[in-house]
Amino acid sequence: MPDPKNIRLKIKRQDRPDTKPYWQEFNLPHKPLANVISCLMDIQMNPVTRQGQAVTPVVWECNCLEEVCGSCTMNINGKVRQACTALVDALPQPIVLEPMSKFPIVRDLQVDRNRMFENLKKVKAWIHIDGTYDIGEGPVIPEKQRAKAYLLSECMTCGCCLEACPQFTKDNDFMGASTFSQVRLFNMHPTGAMEQEERLEAVMGEGGIADCGNAQVCVEVCPKKIPLTESIAEIGRETTLQLLKNLFLK
Amino acid sequence: MGSISKGQVHFLLLKIHSLTGLVPIGLFLTFHLLVNSLRTVGVLPYQWSIDVINNLPFLIWIEIFFIYIPLLFHSFMGIYITQVAKLNAIRYRYPRNWMYVLQRLTGAVVFVFLIYHMGTTVAPKIWNGHHLFEAAPFLIDVMNQEFATWTGRIIYLVGILSATFHFANGLWAFCISWGIIVGPRAQRNASIVFMLFGGALTVLGFATVLEFSLHPVDVVPTFKGAS
Repeated sequence: MPDPKNIRLKIKRQDRPDTKPYWQEFNLPHKPLANVISCLMDIQMNPVTRQGQAVTPVVWECNCLEEVCGSCTMNINGKVRQACTALVDALPQPIVLEPMSKFPIVRDLQVDRNRMFENLKKVKAWIHIDGTYDIGEGPVIPEKQRAKAYLLSECMTCGCCLEACPQFTKDNDFMGASTFSQVRLFNMHPTGAMEQEERLEAVMGEGGIADCGNAQVCVEVCPKKIPLTESIAEIGRETTLQLLKNLFLK
Repeated sequence: MGSISKGQVHFLLLKIHSLTGLVPIGLFLTFHLLVNSLRTVGVLPYQWSIDVINNLPFLIWIEIFFIYIPLLFHSFMGIYITQVAKLNAIRYRYPRNWMYVLQRLTGAVVFVFLIYHMGTTVAPKIWNGHHLFEAAPFLIDVMNQEFATWTGRIIYLVGILSATFHFANGLWAFCISWGIIVGPRAQRNASIVFMLFGGALTVLGFATVLEFSLHPVDVVPTFKGAS
């Protein structure tokens, strides 16, 4: 009989990027308000499986513990989310932990999400603030626009939208919702708009905006409730206009 | 014309894939179902419509450039698009994710259905030299046979439903891809409007199937004395 005072965890582990994954189960005493991270910390202190076998501690990543950094993103009971806000009492047991499936595995629950960072670099997801000359103060941004930009700026590059996207796989180079949304954010900014064309052209190649299949799972799983599908349509609009511009005005 | 980089060719091809689904393929589907539903109005208007279409000047060129080439392009791009994806609607059960799966599934069904449909209509029509005058009696006879059995009826019902769904849902995706519809509420409303439109097309198609199944036509030449 499962003890209600116990937490049962089933974890998919992998020792090295090139070795095969395997499953291990752990039993932990129940603690009030425990989350998945605190459970992983408990395992770290006493890494013994349910069968009593002493093993290496499970590797995972975390940082802020308040769902703003995105580093503890993993598959919990089959769906992608942050481990820090996954409260144990709200989860059916056994709690199944798997690393994200769309990124290369480093070890256990730790994955290499560099692809997202590379994509942000490709689309110049920043605003130029200085150079060899002073570009001066930026114009005042209307409050409504600021509020909209704030929503988009909440993206923490956690990768939930990409993990859940049927179009985003390990074998292709689809950029995915988070990147398109950042293009929108920086194009919205009056100073950022100076690089608008470069950003749009960066998402007009293979793996770019036109590859989106509109399954719209991204917006469903986004922990920050970012209007990703609106961003995709908006970038669709901007790139369509850019295409017409390239065809007829250049 | 213009400056399109190598990377943008991929972008352009996907955009054209989206566009060809609407113009000319979607437009043709609407026209095709609408004209064929004349069968429910009466045999004569139906028979005349077929003869008129088959006597359009430069018909074969119209067919090649406005139907066959766009259709083949749309099909092969569609196969490519489906292959780079990894379906996950079992894990992430959201309505739009199911629509995404259905869009790919219906595309495949329509592709197979069209091979069958053209194999039983257009191919024998051209093969037997009935592609100019008096195409109607020949084609009506073919349709009589198609709808004589339940197998034939089911093939057409599935084919029509797949095509209308694929078009209605694809119209929605087209509007997003081209940035015509942007906001979440606009996307939702557009989806409802397009589905109603798809429903209307389905009714047209199903009514024609029903009419043929219930009342097969006595095949007579459109003009007396013609064979």
